[in-house]
Parts: sequence; structure tokens; C-alpha cells
Amino acid sequence: MPKRKRETTDVSKSPKTKPKRKQKAGKTIETAKEVPVIPAATRGSDQQPPKRIKWTNKQRVLVFSSRGTGFRARHLMTDIRSLMPHAKSENKMNKNDKLIQINEACEMKNCNWTLYFESRKKKDLYLWMAKVPDGPSAKFLVENIHTMDELKMTGNCLKGSRPLLSFHKDFEFQPHLALLREMFAQAFNTPNHHPKSQPFFDRVMCFSIADNRIWIRNFQIVEEDGALAEIGPRLTLNLIKIFAGSFRGECLYENPLYVSPNLHRRSLKMAAAGKYINRVEVKADREQRMPETAYPVENEMDDVFRRAEQAKQKPLDDEANGSMGEKSRTTPKKKNQKKRK
Amino acid sequence: MASMKMKKRLRDRSESPSDVSGEDWEDDSDGGSDTELQEAFASGKLKPGLNYSVEQRKPCANNKEGLIQKLEEIKLDLPWIERLDLTSRLAPLAPEIAAQIGIDPNLVVKTKSAAKKTKTNEDDDVVVEEELDNVDDDFKRELRFYRQAQSAVLEAVPRLHALGIPTKRPTDYFAEMAKSDEQMKRIREKLISKQQQIELSEKAKKMREQRKYGKQVQLEVMKKRQEEKKRIAESVKKFRKGAKGEQDELDFLTELEDSRKNTSKGTNRHQQNQKGPIKKTGKQKYKDTKYGFGGQKKRSKYNTKDSADDVHGKFDRRKHGSAPGNRKGKKPAQKRPGKVTRLKMKSNKSKR
Repeated sequence: MPKRKRETTDVSKSPKTKPKRKQKAGKTIETAKEVPVIPAATRGSDQQPPKRIKWTNKQRVLVFSSRGTGFRARHLMTDIRSLMPHAKSENKMNKNDKLIQINEACEMKNCNWTLYFESRKKKDLYLWMAKVPDGPSAKFLVENIHTMDELKMTGNCLKGSRPLLSFHKDFEFQPHLALLREMFAQAFNTPNHHPKSQPFFDRVMCFSIADNRIWIRNFQIVEEDGALAEIGPRLTLNLIKIFAGSFRGECLYENPLYVSPNLHRRSLKMAAAGKYINRVEVKADREQRMPETAYPVENEMDDVFRRAEQAKQKPLDDEANGSMGEKSRTTPKKKNQKKRK
Repeated sequence: MASMKMKKRLRDRSESPSDVSGEDWEDDSDGGSDTELQEAFASGKLKPGLNYSVEQRKPCANNKEGLIQKLEEIKLDLPWIERLDLTSRLAPLAPEIAAQIGIDPNLVVKTKSAAKKTKTNEDDDVVVEEELDNVDDDFKRELRFYRQAQSAVLEAVPRLHALGIPTKRPTDYFAEMAKSDEQMKRIREKLISKQQQIELSEKAKKMREQRKYGKQVQLEVMKKRQEEKKRIAESVKKFRKGAKGEQDELDFLTELEDSRKNTSKGTNRHQQNQKGPIKKTGKQKYKDTKYGFGGQKKRSKYNTKDSADDVHGKFDRRKHGSAPGNRKGKKPAQKRPGKVTRLKMKSNKSKR
């Protein structure tokens, strides 16, 4: 495939002509320090086009998804692709295929990084991030997805401008985080002098750590003194595992605080069910524990009425009985203590 | 007891977590909670304090050496301009926002200056940054991310300028943006509509407040007026009742006049000096005749030029539309013709 002729325009030399809307990729603006190169007016058809020697850091990322991703994950993927000019797309992969095949796909497209979005049950989205030939790979659970389309994301940036990558200081304190930092820094960084990249710096990509997760935010630099506007997309990554090889190799790190979404849902359901079961059990326990007669109290007054009853049955000739009877009447009435069941 | 469903292991809560690994009990195969506890107690492994069960977890892989080795393998030693990565602290918080959240801005400032005195970088970090205690507090959390990005910008932009690289996009540089113009238009519309909603609600609030306040003021004024009237009426009564004895208590007259002058709109100042009644318009007079005014009527009949001129019960031409100013048809009013003309008219009539 013949290479397209790429022009270099020098804005500083031609201030009168406004550069028009970019139709094709490949215009770069040279730094003020370097001497501007003006291409010749004519060139022969045999002549080789000038080789670009400035783009040295060759990082290419293969961004693609599995079959069965929902709209949100798909939009997220397309947003990431649009923000990374060094990204390449690939057809959807079957989940039944082995992950090792991704290495081959990357080989075909000449990519050395990959971001693979795998969605399960149309509910959970996992992100595989790997350095393809033999680098480390990491699996994340993606949560809290907000795409660039949301109207609350008011910022805008040049398509393909190089981002400033900002990492939280906690990334340096633990080895697995330090490794992840290096991976993010290499994969998300648009290489310098990339043909599709744009010259000015109007974007900052922020990686933070909170609640054992990695939060990714994209901001537009509205003013150089610090005013920012969020462009999107927004991600939260929950690390699951880090492997030594790309989709293979030993597990170098496993997140102890990770709970798989299935388990999480299950625990919620159990808690809800547990409420009812708990109540039933408590009731059964209570039935067991309760005695037949609660508080059997011996009261000296208890047999007053018994004696009165006996007195009634006997003939009323005894004075003692009679007095007893009166006595029984003058005493204040006492409610019989009910036997509790 | 029944609620504490034991799973596999017992662990004493009062112990520190590091001691747990030292205590290893055998699991009971049947998993009977009571028997296990009894056994543990008999062997003296149960300690005082609340014992609760902890689910046994497999040890998680954490191959630190492996991780570090891998890091060394993949590390790229490139100049910073190629990598553009920064480790950033949190940018300082503006005092208004700090007040809004509830963080004491003085605390932040003080600690920063204190850190400067000690001049250690580590202390600076520890002191200035507040820990995020609740991840669910969206505003605080996003604010922290914002501040982190801000500090990155504040650090990177001068660095880029030092390298001689332009960072700001000039206004005439048109290029493809990540979001289309249509999207930006929709965003702008949404923002405008939001603002308008806020404004409307503010307006409505203000109107409500005003009405409430206005109502209050109105009530007060009415009250005042009523009180005035009451007072005057009472003093009039008093005067009337005690008129036979004291005839000098005519102070309330002046009060009356004053009150009337004060309450009525646009009172003429020079009327205060005028003797006799206040000059009234035709309508007022008519109303007076109909409804009168208790005490005022009595005092309003004086024999002055105006009262002599004023004739009650006159046919009000204005009301019946035949005032000199308002003829229907707007033609000039016909004057009664003179004698000669009238005779002529008469003769003309008879001729026909």
C-alpha cells in the first residue's frame, strides 16, 4: 500500500492563511526551537516521500470488545478509541474462544498493547489490559461508567491531542500499583509526534485511588491557571488479578478485597432472605425457651378463696367459719393471677 | 448464640489481627457450633471478649518481587516529554469551596505554612491532604479528583513552556474535536435551560417574599389607621360629652385635620392655613351630601364665599353628559338663533 504524501505546515511562517478544518491526518506543528522544513515545490514520482523520523515511541493499542456488550460499554469503548489516536479497532471476539487468541490478533495488527472489554450477563463489564508479547496483564471490573455523550460532561478537546497523565501519589507505595501505573502511563499516553496526534495540550487524564479502586477522569484544560471542565468518559476500575504474561502466566497479584459481582448480588439476596429466615428461627427459639408456667408465685392470700369455698360447703353453724367468711369479704378483692401458657 | 452461625474458624476479636495466623484450629467436619465452642473452651483456646467467626480465605497472591521484576522489564526510559506522566498531590482548595464543604480553610492554610517551616516533602503531603473518609460523598470525591488534575496542570504547563512547547490552542486553529459541534450545542442549550430554571425559581421566591412582606406592611398600615380613627372618635366623643363643661378641648380638631391631611394622597400644604372647610371637588361634595361625615358635617358649614357659591342639588351636567366639554358627535353646540332669524324660520315654515 503506497504511503500517502504527508505535508508539514508551518503556522509561524504563514500567519495570514488560516489552517482549514482537518480532513486528513498528518499535520503537525513544529516546535519553536526546531528549524522549520519547507518541502520542495515539485517532486518526482520516483522520489520516496520523506520519512518521518520523529515518532519514535511506537505504542499501538488494540481496543475491542466481546460479543454481547451493551450500549454503554460500546459507547465507552468508542469514546476511548476516539481519545486515543494510537488505538486500533478489531472485530468482536467470541467469549468462548480462548483469551490467548488476543495475542495473535494483536500480532496481526502490529499492536503492543490491548484493552479488551469483556461483558458477562450483559450486566458486568470486565477490562483486560495487557502488554501483548510477554508483558503483564491485568483484569479489572469496570464500574460507574459515564460516557462522553452525557450532557453533564461539558468539556471538549482536540481529537487526538496528547493528554497529561496525572497519577495519585498512592500509586508509588505498593508494587502492584506501581506496575499498574507504568502500564497506564504507557498505554494511555499518545506517543509524541504520532501522525494522528494534535499539537496542543488541552487534556489531562487523572488516575486516582479511592476505596481500593482506580478512578479515571478526563478533564479539559480550559485555562492554564487551573480551570478545568470534564470531558468524559468516567470509569472506575476494581482490580481483580495481575498476571505475569499476557493472558497467561502466573498470577502475580490477587486483590483480597475484590468481591465478584455474582457473589455480591448473591449476598444481597441472602441478606434479604435472611431477614425472613431469621424471624422464623427466632420465633421457633422463643417457643422452645418459654416455660409452661411463668412465675409460679406462692401467695398466702391464695388460699383465702379456697377456704371460703370450703366454708360455703360446710354448714353455717360454726362461728369461726362465719367470721372467716366475713373476713374474707372485708379483705380487698384480689385478682386471681392468671396462669400463663 | 443461634444467630452467630459459625462457619469455619473462631477468632478472638480482642486480639490484634496479626496474631490470628498463629492460632490454627482444626475444623470440625460436622460444623456443629456448640460442640466446637465447647471443645475450644475446654482446650483453653477461647479468650475473654466477644468471639466471632471469620470466613476462612485462601491466601491471595502477592508476589512483590515478581511485580517489581516485571516493572523493571516493561519500564521505558524516555524523556519526560515523551511520557507526560506526573505524580500529583492535591491542589489547594479555594476558601469559598472549603466553607461550602465544611472543611475549615484556616486549617488547610495553617498546616501548609507549618509544613513550609519544617521543610520536609513527606510532611507536606501528609499535612495538606485530607483523607477521603466517605467514598459515597460524590461532591467531595469528585472535588478531590478535580484538585489532583489541577495540580497536575499547574505543574506541567510551566514545564512545557520551559521546554519551549506551545500549550494553548490559538483561537484561529480549527481542527477536529472529540465531540461534534452538535453535541456541544446540545450541552450549551442544556446549561442555558438550567440557568433559566434557576432564575425563574429565584424570581418566584422573591415574589413570594415580597408579597409576604407587602402584606405585612399593608396590615401594619391598616392597623395604624384604625388606631388613629379610634383615637380621634374617642376624643370627639369625649368632647361632645364633656362639651358643656369644657369648651377648650378642641385639640382633636387639629388632630383630625392633621390626620386627614396625612392620610389623603397629595394633600395641599397651604390648606393648613386656610380657614374653614377644605375645598372639595364636585364628586366629593355630592358624596358628602349623601353620606356625610358625622362630626365633620357640623363643622363644615361655614358662611364663606365658597359655601355661598356652592349650590347643592344642582343638576350635574357632567354626569348626564351634557357638560360643555363633552358633546356627543363633537360638533359645536348650536347657539339659539337670534330673533330675526327665528322669525324668518317661522315665516319659511308657514310658507310651506
